[in-house]
Order: sequence, then C-alpha cells, then structure tokens
Amino acid sequence: MPLVKKVVDWVDVRLGVRDLLEQNLSGYLLPKNVNVWYSLGSVLLALFGLQIATGFLLLIYYVPDTTRAFESVLRIMNDVPYGWLIRYLHMVGSNMIIVVLLLHMLSVIFMGSYKRPREITWLSGFLLFNLGMGLCLTGYLLPWSQLSFWATTIATDAAGTVPVIGGRLVEFLRGGASVGEPTLGRFFALHVMGMPLLLGAGIGLHLFCVRRIGISRPPFGPDAKPAEVGSYFHHEEHPGGIPFFPNYTVEDGAMVCFFLALICSVVFFAPQLFMPEEALVPADPFSTPAHIKPEWYFLWAYQTLKIFPTKLTGLAAQGAFMTFLALLPFIDRGAERRPSRRPLFVTCFVLGILLFVGLSIWGHLS
Amino acid sequence: MDNLEVSPARRRFFLTVILGGVGAVLAGAAGWPLFRFLSPSKGEGEGGKTAIGRDKVPVGGAHFFNFHGHPAVVVQPQPGQFIALTAVCTHLGCIVKWEADKGDFLCPCHGGRYSPDGQVTAGPPPKPLESYAVQIQGDQLLVG
Repeated sequence: MPLVKKVVDWVDVRLGVRDLLEQNLSGYLLPKNVNVWYSLGSVLLALFGLQIATGFLLLIYYVPDTTRAFESVLRIMNDVPYGWLIRYLHMVGSNMIIVVLLLHMLSVIFMGSYKRPREITWLSGFLLFNLGMGLCLTGYLLPWSQLSFWATTIATDAAGTVPVIGGRLVEFLRGGASVGEPTLGRFFALHVMGMPLLLGAGIGLHLFCVRRIGISRPPFGPDAKPAEVGSYFHHEEHPGGIPFFPNYTVEDGAMVCFFLALICSVVFFAPQLFMPEEALVPADPFSTPAHIKPEWYFLWAYQTLKIFPTKLTGLAAQGAFMTFLALLPFIDRGAERRPSRRPLFVTCFVLGILLFVGLSIWGHLS
Repeated sequence: MDNLEVSPARRRFFLTVILGGVGAVLAGAAGWPLFRFLSPSKGEGEGGKTAIGRDKVPVGGAHFFNFHGHPAVVVQPQPGQFIALTAVCTHLGCIVKWEADKGDFLCPCHGGRYSPDGQVTAGPPPKPLESYAVQIQGDQLLVG
C-alpha cells in the first residue's frame, strides 16, 4: 500500500490526478432519485468494450476473402480452442447492444431527458444508435454464409429505390453490380476500422455532453422540475445527491454484471437463437434460400417496405420516422418532463412501441 | 445474543478479500479461454512424416520445405543418397543457403558453413544442423 500511495503521490504532484478524480468520481453528485435506467449508458460502454475485445480476437483467425471467409469462421468455431466462445460472445453481444440501445433511447424519451438543453446529447446518442445498427449490418456479411450474402443483397438493394441515383448508389455500396469480393472488402474495412473510429469519437462527444451539462433529474417525485435553459450555459448540479463513486458505480457494476450474465446464458444455453440454418451454409450467389429474413431489429423496416404500395414510399416513411426521431428535441419543445402531465406523449410512446413490436412480429411471421 | 463489534477496518479487509477472490476467479475463468485461444494449434510442430517428390531433389541440389512448421532442407549429394536437415543455422537462427557449386551450406548472416550432412566446417555456428530420417518410398521421400 505505501508503494501505491507513493506512485499516486508522484503522479498527483505532476498531473493533479486526485483533484480530477475527486471532481469526477466521489465529488460528482447524481440526483438522489436516480434509477437503474441511468445505468444503461455504462452497460453500453461495457458491451462496446466486449465487442472490441472479442472482435480483435476474431481478427486473428478471420480471413476477409470470399473464398476463405466461411472456412475461416468454421475453423474459429470448430478448431480454435474456445473460438466458439469468442464468436458467440461477439454475436450475442451485438444483439444485446441493440436491445440496450433501444432501452436506453426509450428511457431517455420517456423521461424527457432529450429536452433542452440536452439536444446535442440526444443527437450524438442518435448518431451512436445508427452507428450501432451500421456495425451490425456490416458485421453480418463477414461470415460469408447464405444468410450473410442474401441479407446484404436485400439490404443494399433497398438503396436502389432512391430516385435517379438509386442504381448507382447500390453499385457504390456493393463496389460492383452484385454483392461479391469488393463488398466484403468494403464492409470489412467499415466494420473493423471506419465505424469503430466514428463510434469512439461519438462516444467521446456523448460522454462530454453528459458530463458538461450534468445528469438530468428523473422527472418523478416532488422535486421534479421542467426542462429549462437560460441565455447562459448552466451545469445542472445536484447538491445533497449521491456520489458517482462508489455509490452509483456499484449500481452500474451490478447492471453490467446482469447484462453480461444474460449474454452468457444465451451463449451457453441458446447459442442458436441468433443463428438460423442459412448461417451454417456457405454463400452461393446462384441460389437464394427460401424465406430469408433480416435480423430481428430490422424486421420492422422490412415489414414497412412490404406494407407500402411501392418501395420508395416505404423507404420514405422509414426516413421520415428516423428524421422525426433525430429532431425530437426540436419538435417537442415543451418544458414539461413529467410523464404524468403528458398524457398525449405517453399515449404516442406506448403506441409507438406497440407499432414497432407489432411490425416486427408481422415481419417475422409473414 | 451479544452483538459483536466489528471494526470498519476489519469489514473493509473482509470485503477486499471477498472481492479480490471473486475477481481472481472471474479473471481465471476469462483468462484461460483467452490463453487457449491464442496458443498455437496442436498440429503445429508435431505430426508424422512429410512427403516430398523425389524429382524435386536433383543430384547435387537441394529442396527447401516446411517440416512441422520449421524450415528444412533435403539434399542429394550422391545419386540415391538423401539427407534431410533443419535449415535453421545453429548460430543465430538465420536460414542457410545451399551452394551447389561448393557442395555445402552457407549461412548468409555470419558466414557459417556446414557440410551436406550438417556438420560445421567454418564460422561461428556452435553445433551441427539437426538431421531428420529420410525414407525412400517409390518416387516419394518421407522425412521424419
């Protein structure tokens, strides 16, 4: 212990780390009524860390070549010691990230935490949500299975409905007329380098916004306040609140452990949950499997395309919805954050979730 | 029943031990698969014989090949006489070259020389090249 103290003293004299830790950990106070939903950000950070670690390990054995990619994945699963564990953790982890991203976004919407002055925090979070989906889409192609190949063919084909430039756009996305070696190269580069770099920058911006503005007070109980913004920057303080460290860090840790346990339970007891039969067959560009479906989180979009009379209107509807979501803080400008005082909002919120779930189930069954 | 007073220092020590123990178990549970994942596969450096076409080794010539993951060489100094050796110089691990005109091996790094059967003839190598058994089976040479 004296050695640790000496090292900390040495660094402290040079960088003032004790002050920094005090300000950001034990002296950083959170609202007293902060709830478990506030831990989802930390859970996401931990899960992204898991993806980076397992993704890095998979890169050791994965070969991004259409003639060898599937074989290299088979080798990881069957020959490399614990390769199956690393791959399943990566695969199940990616699905869990989407679940937690959705829960995080829904909780922020329900508690009105996106409202002023947190518009930039919301926008950066929305960007991260889309990057998460993009990472899933690009990672999906890499095993070069029938599922990978045809899911990517359908997903990139959707861009063809864009008027005038649709055809060119599809070719640009694929790097050719159809999904092939150039597509794998692009998606691989995006998945392991481009998108993770953007994600890192986005996470940095998001955390900066969260810390700079301060944690929003949950809109429940007698202390609930409306969203306010003056002419000057104001950091929201919570005097008499609970310290971030150790109090809230322990709660964060418990939530992280809960989600890791959930991932492990799927990995060990139901690993096939996210792996349909088509994922076990190498890609064949001349044979489309019957009833190919996108991943569960794209089912709502898939079904929307089918409901509308043309692909273009379906795509436009999706675009409109995503734009609405991105601009939510600028559209919903009211200061009231308490759900009990916002019956119309709560109705729309519940109907929105039901619509998402309903479209997804419909898409799965159709 | 009396309430036994436990000092905060002892509580802290207990908690530290418990957390340390749990942490060590979890680190082991995560570390072992990671170690195994990164370890070389069992086939590497082990295994049976390596077959080489006899026509690949001309009289007075050499053929370099991979033997259980290591560079190796087989030479035919006299008609029908095949010698298989490691191609890794015993000095600092460079790969030796076969000099057909001189009929011996030269290590290009520090000028070590070996005879066709792997014995050191000049330079700094401390010991001969390790040799492997060679069997002739039809038009194949079986090394190992």
